[in-house]
Amino acid sequence: MNSRFEPFLGLSVELTAFSYFDLLGTGLAERYLATLDTVVGSEITDALLAAFTALPPPESEARIHAVRTTILGSELLGDVARALIKLWYSGTWFELSSAWTERFGPRPANTTFVVSPDAYIEGLLWKAIGAHPPGAKGQGFGSWAFPPKIPAPAPGPKPDLTPLPLVFKELDQRHDEISASTDAR
Amino acid sequence: MDSSIKTLDELKEFLYRAMQLEHATIPPYLTALYSIKPGVNQDATQVLRVIVVEEMLHLTIAANILNAIGGKPDLVRPDFVARYPAALPDGETDFKVGIQAFGREALATFLKIERPAQRPDHLVGKDLIYRKTPPDITALASHPRHEDLHFYSIGEFYSAIAEGIKYLEAEAHEAGTTIFTGDRSRQITSEYYYSGGGELFPVTDLKSAQAAIELIIEQGEGDGGGIYDDDDHELAHYYRFEELVKGRYYQKGDQPGHPTGPHLQVDWEGAYPIKENLKVGDILEGSELREAATAFNTRYGEFLQLLTRAYNGQPNLLLEAVPMMFEFRNMILELVRNPLPGHPGKNGSPTYEIPGGIKQPAVARQAEVNA
Repeated sequence: MNSRFEPFLGLSVELTAFSYFDLLGTGLAERYLATLDTVVGSEITDALLAAFTALPPPESEARIHAVRTTILGSELLGDVARALIKLWYSGTWFELSSAWTERFGPRPANTTFVVSPDAYIEGLLWKAIGAHPPGAKGQGFGSWAFPPKIPAPAPGPKPDLTPLPLVFKELDQRHDEISASTDAR
Repeated sequence: MDSSIKTLDELKEFLYRAMQLEHATIPPYLTALYSIKPGVNQDATQVLRVIVVEEMLHLTIAANILNAIGGKPDLVRPDFVARYPAALPDGETDFKVGIQAFGREALATFLKIERPAQRPDHLVGKDLIYRKTPPDITALASHPRHEDLHFYSIGEFYSAIAEGIKYLEAEAHEAGTTIFTGDRSRQITSEYYYSGGGELFPVTDLKSAQAAIELIIEQGEGDGGGIYDDDDHELAHYYRFEELVKGRYYQKGDQPGHPTGPHLQVDWEGAYPIKENLKVGDILEGSELREAATAFNTRYGEFLQLLTRAYNGQPNLLLEAVPMMFEFRNMILELVRNPLPGHPGKNGSPTYEIPGGIKQPAVARQAEVNA
């Protein structure tokens, strides 16, 4: 574990609204940090981690505001942070928008790809919806007669984390903006 | 002393211990299996998976035999789940079986569990082996009436059961009755036990009881020291584990210890570094890891309750046990991937400390046997 791993995990907890235990439990944290380094390069990754480290103390209004302005709202870091959220949830790196690459330069590894077979299986989205990844983590013969065994997280945001709806709202807004600007071209 | 089984109650207690013994191998095998990192050690994963499923079959077979003679399988009795590391017989000494990650050390232990142990010439015909076991250690395959008397091997333990059944049934036969008075509807058959390491047949008489015991012994140690079972199609557990150590598969015609089949790859570092025989008390209080380890134990306790009901007349409940076992996989994976606070370089692990799992004093058990 290096000095970047801890802030990376902290950032991921904040962005995904899942706990350290859940994220480490996927067994993919190190590989996702490496994915960031491979796709956007270590300089931008470091900038993202630095932005996280510089946030105001947890559980303050100022922090939630700062996550929005200095990370999700940053032209350089925003798309990367959103791609990281999607990576955690789906195990897939989604190619950064053309708006981003036009501004900051293309990256050879920036294509849409599934990180590994287990990344698909361990995607947080399955936990978030309380279901099993289709075709994986099977529950055995006859199990469809019983409710799914992956518990959905308790309703409501975890007290010390950025509320998930906020992140998604940001995501939607940004997505609309990007689509609008791409369509306009 | 005379170690042979002379009463039906004694036979029931032996069969309870057989179930305890069969179960005791499941947590170590299961943990080693799920400690393997994704993408590596596919041969080892396959071997462990097959073996752990067969151990579950053995547990169910032992329950069938116990049911056949009118006993009541009880997997929630406080001493049912072994406290790890637990002691298993290995010839004149014993060894400890514990919860650890897949690796050379774990395999060395697994080989000892399944070793085809035959007494050396100078010990043939001698009685059980005296060995004092500390009170906090679960001594598996020991004599129910005499905690410190141990069988030479697991095979010998089962031979005692087989002989006890034969003796008691002959005695009953002379009196015009039978020991196989159990309710037939309590037998678990393949109808409820799908694809679980072999076919399950009902135990209803001496013949089927003997066949059941033979199946357990052959899948574990092999048929009289041979590498395959008597149908010559299934490799015994001992030799499956040996394939991993030797890096080579067995094929038909091979001699024990000399596999000549295709090579296989084992990545000895390809497992999460879990802390051996972890206890909940070793995990930082208030941590998510501790919560998850406790939640696993609670769920496992519920699983044993479900099995107890299934083995006591509700065999259809076994269908519900299947998704529960897959749930364990997901829970164990999360535990073994999380670092253990305060133990740098070590990860978490399931602890298998089942609520209420306190060792019963030997005296109480003896009273039960005599009752």
